[in-house]
Amino acid sequence: MSKFTYPQEVLDKMRDIVDNCMGEEVPYCEATCPMHTDVKGYVNLIAEKRYEDAIKLIREKLFLPASLGRVCAHPCEENCKRETEYRQPMAIAALKRFVADNFDKEELWNLDKKENNNKKVAVIGAGPAGAQAALDLVMEGYSVTVYDRLPVYGGMMRVGIPEYRLPRNIIDFEYSLLEKLGVEFKMGVEVGKDISFDELKENHDGVIIAVGAHKGVIIPIEGHDKDGVLDAVNFLRDVSLDKENVKIAKKIAVIGGGNVAIDVARSARRVGAEEVHLVCLEEKGKMPAHDWEVEEAEEEGVTLHAGFGPEKIVDENGKVVGFEIKKCLSIIDDEGNFNPQFDENNKLVLDVENVVFAVGQSVDNAFVNETLETKRGGRFNVDPVTLQSQIENVFVAGDASGGSVIAIEAMAEGRKAAKSMMRLFNGEELHTDREKEGTYETRLETDIKEGTEDLPRISTTQLDPKIRIQDFREVDLGLTEDNAIEEASRCLKCECKLCMNECVMLNDYCECPKDLFENILETGDVDPMIPYSCNMCSQCTIACPKDFEMSGRFMDMRKVMIKQNNGKSPIKGHSAIEMHQLLGFSKLFNTSKPAKTSSKKAEKGRS
Amino acid sequence: MADTKRVFIPGCSLPSYNPDAVMKTLEFLQEKLPGTGGILKCCGKPTKALGQVDKFKERYGDFQSEVDKLGADEIIVACQSCFLTMSANSPNQTVKSLWAMFPTLGLPERAKGIGKKSDITFAIHDSCSTRDRKDIHDGIRWIMSELGYKVEEPPHTRENTKCCGFGGMIVPANPDLAQRVMNKRTEEVESDYMVTYCAACRESMVKGGKKAVHILDLIFGDMYDSNSEFPGNPSSPLKGWTNRYKSKSNIKKVLK
Repeated sequence: MSKFTYPQEVLDKMRDIVDNCMGEEVPYCEATCPMHTDVKGYVNLIAEKRYEDAIKLIREKLFLPASLGRVCAHPCEENCKRETEYRQPMAIAALKRFVADNFDKEELWNLDKKENNNKKVAVIGAGPAGAQAALDLVMEGYSVTVYDRLPVYGGMMRVGIPEYRLPRNIIDFEYSLLEKLGVEFKMGVEVGKDISFDELKENHDGVIIAVGAHKGVIIPIEGHDKDGVLDAVNFLRDVSLDKENVKIAKKIAVIGGGNVAIDVARSARRVGAEEVHLVCLEEKGKMPAHDWEVEEAEEEGVTLHAGFGPEKIVDENGKVVGFEIKKCLSIIDDEGNFNPQFDENNKLVLDVENVVFAVGQSVDNAFVNETLETKRGGRFNVDPVTLQSQIENVFVAGDASGGSVIAIEAMAEGRKAAKSMMRLFNGEELHTDREKEGTYETRLETDIKEGTEDLPRISTTQLDPKIRIQDFREVDLGLTEDNAIEEASRCLKCECKLCMNECVMLNDYCECPKDLFENILETGDVDPMIPYSCNMCSQCTIACPKDFEMSGRFMDMRKVMIKQNNGKSPIKGHSAIEMHQLLGFSKLFNTSKPAKTSSKKAEKGRS
Repeated sequence: MADTKRVFIPGCSLPSYNPDAVMKTLEFLQEKLPGTGGILKCCGKPTKALGQVDKFKERYGDFQSEVDKLGADEIIVACQSCFLTMSANSPNQTVKSLWAMFPTLGLPERAKGIGKKSDITFAIHDSCSTRDRKDIHDGIRWIMSELGYKVEEPPHTRENTKCCGFGGMIVPANPDLAQRVMNKRTEEVESDYMVTYCAACRESMVKGGKKAVHILDLIFGDMYDSNSEFPGNPSSPLKGWTNRYKSKSNIKKVLK
C-alpha cells in the first residue's frame, strides 16, 4: 500500500542526502577519542546530575574510567569546539574522573558475556592494550589468559606513570572487572623465560602480544656507561614497585623534554633528590610534555634547562660527578631531519651524581626468538590495518608495534587486535570496514551558535607543592560536584541538525533527513503522510549547510504517489481540495472581465 | 480586446476573505493604471502542490486561455503562490506583485498616515513562498510606513521568514501538525497584532492566537487600534464561497 517505486533520478537525489547529511555525524570529541567514548552524552548527563547514567554510558566503551580520568592525555579536548574556537576546551578527563570516583559501583558493571566457545587466547602484557583485548575477547566467549612478567596489573600505567598521578588501588579496582569475567591472570610470569613463546602458541588458538616498550634508551655520549647513569623506564619501575629502596643522589639531572622526563624529575623529588635539573633540547613552551606538567614540576622545585643538550657525563673513578650541557641552537635542519646544532662556546657543568635518560623506550622482543619481524625501537612489524604479524594467529597491539603512545590509544589497539583475531577465527575478511577504528575525522561541520558565551574552563585544584613532594599522595584533587556541573554545562553539544531546529514536521518523523531518507531507500516504504506533511517552506534548506532541498524530495515523492494512485492523492483529507478545485474552476465562482473601454482614452491622455 | 493591457488577478484566498478589498483594489488600479481588466479564477496551484502534474497542466492551460483571451501582457497578482506559479508558467506575460507596485503607484489619499495615531504595533509576517523577493518585502514595509503604523520584525523575517503552517496542502492532510507549525510561527512574535499580505497566512496567524489583518484591510479599511474589532476566521467553508461569489460580483461591478 505505502510501497512506491521511485525513478532513478529521484532515488539519486535521496541518496545524495543520505550520503552527505551531517545529522548523524559524531561530534569532534567522540571521533577523536580512539575508543569513541560518547563524550557529549556523558558530559551532558553530568550537567543534568544523572551521574549513574553517565558512568554507565562511559563504561559502555571504557573499563578504566577512574584511571583514564586521571592519566588520559585526552586528545578529545584538543578537538573540542570550545578549544578550537576559544582555547578553553571542556575538561573532559576531569569530568570522567569526577563521575567515576563518586558514582562507579561494581553492581553497575556489565558481566553479561557470551557462552564459552572453546577457543583459547593468550595475551602477553597486562597493560591497557592487553587488558582491552582480553576484555573484548572474554565478552565474546573466549577463554583468555593474560601473562605479565610484572607482579602487578596495569603495565606502563602502573610502572611508568607515577603513583601521585594514578593511585594504585584504582587500577586494581578497575582491573577486577576482568577477574569477574573469568580472565585468567598469570602475573610474574615472563614469556621467553618461565614459558616459551612457542609453547604459548601451541597451547592457544591465538596470541596477542601487548608487551609495551619497557626498555630504556641511553644515548651513547661520553660517560654514558659510568656508575650513576640511569634510564627512565628502570627508575620509574623501581619507584613504582619498591620506592623505599630506591637509591638516588641528592643532586641529579634528567635529560628529556617529554612527560616521562617530567615523571622522573617529580618522582626523584619524592624519593630524596633535593636538586633536580631537567635538561631538554626544546625551549620552554615547545617541549613535548604538556605545559601544565612542566609547571607542576617547577612548582615542586625542579630546575629547568630548556634549550640545552648533553655534552658529556663527567666521572671520577667511574662514578658520575657532573653533567656537562651545551646551548642548543636548533633541533630540526632545513631538510626536516632531527639534527640538533649547538653553541660550543656556551657550556655549563651541572654538579650531579645521577643522570637519568628519559629519551625514549624500546621493546624487549627477545622472547619471540626472532620468529617475527621487528623494526626501529625493537617494535614488531605488523599490518597497520589488522595488527596481524607474520604469524597468522599472532597479533601485536599497543606500544609493542608502535601503534600507540598513550593509554587510550593502546586500548583502541587492543580492541583492534581482538577484532582481527575474532574475524580470523570466524573465517571473515580482516581488512574490510575498519576506517573508523581509532581516531578519525568526523564529517561534522558546525559554527558557533549566535549568543554562545566564551566561558572559561574550570580547573581542578592541586595539592600544595610543599605538601605533595613529601610522599606519593595524589596531587590532583579533581572537581567538586558544583564545579563538575558548571563545567559539564559548558558543552556546546556539537551536532548539525540545524534543519531540525527549524522544522516541526521533520521532528515528527525522524532524527534527521539522513535517517528519514535512508529508511526510505532501504525499505522502499514510506507513510504517504510524511511527504504530504511538508509545508514546502524551504526553512530546512536555508538552515542546511549543504543546501539540501528536502521539500523537493517530498514533491518528487508526491508526484510518484499521485502517478501510482490513479492521479489522486493517497491522503484522505485531500478530497476536500478536490471539491475546492471543482468549485474554484466552476463558472459560478469565475469571471473574466476586460478593462473598461472608457479607460482607453484616459490611458492615452495620460501618456 | 487589446484595450486590456493588464489584468488584476486577486487569487482565491483573498476573494474568499474580503470581497470589499478586491473591489477597492481593482478600483484603485483602474484609476492609477487604466487598461486593467480582472480575472477571478484559480490558477490550479493546489493540484501542483499535491503533485498532480497532469491535472495542473490542464488547469493552468484553462486559466492561461482566459488571460490570452483578454490579450493582457501583464499580470498583477495579490497572492504569492499566484506570483510564483504564473511567473513560471506564463512566459508571454510579465507578472507583477501588487505589493511591489505600491511604492510607485502611491497609496490612496485617505490611507496616508491613517495609522499614525494607532496605539498598536503590527508584526509583519512575510509569505515564505516569496522569501527571496526583496522587492515584495520592501513594498510591504513601504506601505506600512506610509500608513503610519508601527511595525515589529519577528526573529524570522523577510528571506528567513517562517512558514505560516498553511503551505503544502498540509492543513487537510495533517491538521494537528499544521496547528503546531502555526503556533511555532506566532510564538516568536512579541506583538499581539500581526499583518500579512496573504489571506491564508492571516488565517494561520489567527489560529496561532494572534489578532491579524491582511494589509489590504489597513489600506482600504478604517484605522486599527487596540479598540478595533479584528477579523476572525470563518466558522464554515460556506462563508468563503459566499465571499468569493461577492468578489465575482464586485469585479463585474467595477469593470461594467
